[in-house]
Amino acid sequence: MTAKALSGFAALILGVALLAAAPFAVNDYYLGLGVDLASYTVLATAWALFSGPTRYISLATAAFFGIGAYAMATLWDKLPEPAVVALAALLGVGVALIVGLSTLRLRGVYFVIFTFGLAELIHQLVSWHETNFTHTVGRYIYLDISSSQIYWQLLGLAVLVFSVGWLIGRSRLGLALRVIGDDEVVARHVAINTTTAKLVLFAVSAGFISATGAVMAPRWTYIDPNIAFNPLVSFQVVIMALLGGAGRLHGPILGVVPLVLVSEVLSAHFPQSFLIILGIVFLVIVYFLPDGVAGLIERWRAGTRRSERSRAVNVPFAGGALLELHNVRKAFGGLVAVDDVSLAIAAGEILGLIGPNGSGKTTALNLISGVLRSDGGEIRFKGRSIGALPSHEIARLGIARTFQLVRVLGSMSCLDNVVAGLAFRADPLWGEAARERAVALLDRVGLAPRTNVPAGQLTYIDQKRLELARALALEPELLLLDEWLAGLNPRELGVGIDLVQSLRKDGLTIVLVEHVMDAIRSLCDRCVVMNAGRKIADGPPATVLTDDAVITAYLGAAAHA
Amino acid sequence: MRQLGFALAAAAAAALYAGNPAVAQDKIKIGYVVAKSGPNAPGAGITTIPNYKLWVTDVNAAGGINVGGKKMQIEVVEYDDQSSTEEAVKGIERLATEDKVDLILPPWGTGTNLAVAPVIAKYGYPHLAVTAATDMAPEMVKRFPNSFWFLGTSSQGADALVEVLNKLKAKGLGTNIAMVSVADQFGIELSKAARPALDKAGFKLVYDKSYPVTTQDFAPIINEAKAANPDAFVAFSYPPDTFGLTGTAIALGFNPKVFYTAVGTAFMVYKDQFKDNVDGVMGVGGVNPDTPEMQAYFKHHKEVTGQDADRWASPVTYASLQILQQAIEKVGSLDKQKIADAIKAGEFDTVLGKVKMVNNIRQDVWWAGQWQGGEFYGLGPTSIAGAKEPLFPKPDWKK
Amino acid sequence: MVAFDIVLSGVILGGTYALIALGLTLQYGVARIMNLAYGELLIAAAFGAYWLFVAKAVSPLTGLIVVIPVAFALNWLIYRFLLTPLVRRAKSRDALEADSILATFGMLFIVQGGLLVAFGGQYYSDRFLQSAVIILGDTVEANKLVTAAFAIVASLGLYLALTHTRAGTAIRAVAVAPGSARLVGIDVERLSAFAFALGGALSAAGGVLVSMSLLFSATSGVLFTMKALIIAIMGGAGNLLGSLVAGLILGIAEIAVARLIDPGLTIAINFVLFLAVLLIRPAGLFGRAAA
Repeated sequence: MTAKALSGFAALILGVALLAAAPFAVNDYYLGLGVDLASYTVLATAWALFSGPTRYISLATAAFFGIGAYAMATLWDKLPEPAVVALAALLGVGVALIVGLSTLRLRGVYFVIFTFGLAELIHQLVSWHETNFTHTVGRYIYLDISSSQIYWQLLGLAVLVFSVGWLIGRSRLGLALRVIGDDEVVARHVAINTTTAKLVLFAVSAGFISATGAVMAPRWTYIDPNIAFNPLVSFQVVIMALLGGAGRLHGPILGVVPLVLVSEVLSAHFPQSFLIILGIVFLVIVYFLPDGVAGLIERWRAGTRRSERSRAVNVPFAGGALLELHNVRKAFGGLVAVDDVSLAIAAGEILGLIGPNGSGKTTALNLISGVLRSDGGEIRFKGRSIGALPSHEIARLGIARTFQLVRVLGSMSCLDNVVAGLAFRADPLWGEAARERAVALLDRVGLAPRTNVPAGQLTYIDQKRLELARALALEPELLLLDEWLAGLNPRELGVGIDLVQSLRKDGLTIVLVEHVMDAIRSLCDRCVVMNAGRKIADGPPATVLTDDAVITAYLGAAAHA
Repeated sequence: MRQLGFALAAAAAAALYAGNPAVAQDKIKIGYVVAKSGPNAPGAGITTIPNYKLWVTDVNAAGGINVGGKKMQIEVVEYDDQSSTEEAVKGIERLATEDKVDLILPPWGTGTNLAVAPVIAKYGYPHLAVTAATDMAPEMVKRFPNSFWFLGTSSQGADALVEVLNKLKAKGLGTNIAMVSVADQFGIELSKAARPALDKAGFKLVYDKSYPVTTQDFAPIINEAKAANPDAFVAFSYPPDTFGLTGTAIALGFNPKVFYTAVGTAFMVYKDQFKDNVDGVMGVGGVNPDTPEMQAYFKHHKEVTGQDADRWASPVTYASLQILQQAIEKVGSLDKQKIADAIKAGEFDTVLGKVKMVNNIRQDVWWAGQWQGGEFYGLGPTSIAGAKEPLFPKPDWKK
Repeated sequence: MVAFDIVLSGVILGGTYALIALGLTLQYGVARIMNLAYGELLIAAAFGAYWLFVAKAVSPLTGLIVVIPVAFALNWLIYRFLLTPLVRRAKSRDALEADSILATFGMLFIVQGGLLVAFGGQYYSDRFLQSAVIILGDTVEANKLVTAAFAIVASLGLYLALTHTRAGTAIRAVAVAPGSARLVGIDVERLSAFAFALGGALSAAGGVLVSMSLLFSATSGVLFTMKALIIAIMGGAGNLLGSLVAGLILGIAEIAVARLIDPGLTIAINFVLFLAVLLIRPAGLFGRAAA
């Protein structure tokens, strides 16, 4: 460890020790305030563990908090308190898994809606159970526990949540979440099982929130569903975390402290205005501080960083891939985008997939890469049916692609973009090994000078190269290039064509969707032409490009070569 | 040498100052945290806050409370608990440790009072819980010996109602009861106590459902209750649902011979809302309006606060404050423990008549009342002085 | 008879729900704004109707004449000044949805806080048109019938307007493909503002009508928003008839659960249905699959 890291660590320990000593120095009122600060710190940081990187705004905090509180209310006299807290955490994890499995597959916004009402749903279920089966509604907790003890437990939880957050941030899971937050489609195409990643984080976050609820419950003595499942808790946690900045581990606490103090002052003197002020704070965050206070501080202190280059390394590619489409069909309402298309690709081939706009080429690629599921027909890769597989599994099997509208992970550096491709494939690379390979790949596509530049700042051509590097990082057997050569000037086109040729030499099988006829002629062994969803020609470029049907499709009925 | 001298002098002065009970106290600082916003605000705004203000006005107008020969006026510190128990607990802590009040008055609502009981006890204050009715009361007294519970237990409430219904059998009341309760501490406790009591008295529950606190539409419940053809309809409800259920029952023409809604029925705004239709409606609470103390109280309440007192917990609130004052005067100081002891042992003159706490719980709590001729009379428990004969059957709703 | 009871009450309740959701369908489907403050504005309209009724003796039905244009203008202003900056800076539809959730979240607090300051925490109701109407032996309150009827007329009327007029087609184009709509000369921003304002006006109408029959308070908004969101998404974003059908289904389901199982599980059934639809038909009952 470096001296700087050591001194940072020592400062942390000192800080925690000082905080732990606080109860001996302050009166009960300030201790109560301390308890609030500690509990919201845990809640907001735990919330940001999941919602920060994935950008899924979870409004379910009150639900998990209430579950924890109720666990304590039910079991306080049956088990020792720490055991109840642990049990509450497990319960929170369990419920999060159930909720997550049902909803994390859906688009982000549906998740938000669902969590919006989740606290109310669980509230009703608990009420119903208590009313009809136990015939109580409130439960009493006569636990002999002082505010100081609660404070220390919360402090312990805070240390734990920060530690867990730090470890995750450095792990592959953390990278997976950042990729998901940036572009979920890309995440799936670098073989990240997005559902699992989100689920794990959601569950971890929920566990902490439930534990906090269990620890806090004895403060109120009397718990009923209204008290335990208070939606305002969810909303306040979101505001605190976003104010401080949910993208950084230390962000939420920067929002917790001012808001708890402000709310304390307001509760005492201007309780009516509390909600209005919360709303205004929130609007300020959304319009002027999208990255929160932490983001503001970072931008203010931003500087450039440099890093070293690495030597080029040859990346071997496996060969012998085989892709077959049999009578594949895809319709959107009344529009048949892919109509009964069959084709086969041999290993080592470069196949051109051409046709006028709207002929269904990108749809075909989307069917192969798993973005869409076909309505009929079969897709086989190396003899295995892949039509029903999700994108991340197809990526693992060895199919990689670029997108017509280039999709890079704008908030991450070029290096990290490529590392994302390396970290989740079937034979993953991580840490130093991944960094070395990533640098080599960047070099291969000519992006070595931009290794640490954020991808969002690259030029269009460079973004295309980056996307290619990320696709190559998967070490695929089949590469799908969707109009990768579009928009290049003649010199760049030449470089691009050479690059694609070199890929073939390494044993890659390539499907090229293109409009640039020069590229088709010079690169493709074979061409398949689509028009209005149907395949109308299949053969060597020279033959296909002079075919009557093809010319008619492109130029209209009157023209003939 | 000089420095040592100064230091000693300073130390001596400090010791003297600390040892002295500070500057002579002029006023009694009384604090309370009560719902001024949120769902509990309407209840608190009718029952609790006006009576606190009324009492402070009355006391200060008379020159203050006699504390050991010196008349001290009341200074108030108040906070809004926003209908949240968390805020209520925090508010009490603030009152005790920051504002350092001499006495604390209770918040509104059973749940809130249960929640603040431990923290009030922690700081040694007596806790006169008025707007709290719970079967937990005896246990609370055991744990918090300086807490006092003015509305008794929910079992008493259920028993009182069943007693009244039982007596009505002689007048022709059938045995079919439709019962609904709000899914909250209050509603659950009361319905839980009512079931065996009704069964023992020979009544049959033809409809027994509980509804969530957030219910906005009562037509399904009224329609179903109506379909069960009950002789009596009993709703253990809170102010919003009390109004909702009554309004819907009128609209849908649901006319059982006995119609009982719980909290809120005794509010004057209930009469204002439903006008002639309130005649014959039974509800939780009741008063004996025929005593001179009660009549004077109602008149005075309206004059000073501009609002009508409710016909159940309002006089009880005021009575609790009268008891507090008389206890202070009896003890002659603001010693919290002595005041609590005085309340435990004494008998006090209040607007409710003579009140003596038995095991910290007030006796003779009205639990069943009925609107008759524009006033809400107490019907039961019939053992309380002034219990009126019920009007039976309830006249049909007029549209 | 019980089955008929349930269906009738369910359809009427469903009509109310559908009306509440219509506005959000337009706001989300066309203007792409996930408006979390939707319910607060609806409640604000309910309070407006209540105030008009109690202070000025104006019946809620007449009050509609005032409330609807006011709500339209207010919502248009909200779109123009609060939401347009978000629209301009959003890079994708998903980004706009996320941003609009957050911004309207802030609005939710401000409106709710304002209502609490103005009206306190208690429950209100106009209790207008509460007379009973007998339908085939079943008693129904007249105000609920009016609400359901209004819902059906409004959705059918809007549906016809959207499918048979030029402006309507333009709106549908914006809902389906704003990028392409721009290319054929449609002023997407103006139409989105219009759709948002129209949605707000519809929600205000809903608020006025429900003020007659339901109990509401300054904090009821969240519940309404949740139901509206669930129905709008279940019916397929932007699909008016879909919202109507989804609202009716939800109404019938809630009544059925309340009668046959337990009134305490009504919200549970909301979520069960919501999840079921999303998992089986992610684009909603009548929605088109997202591109």
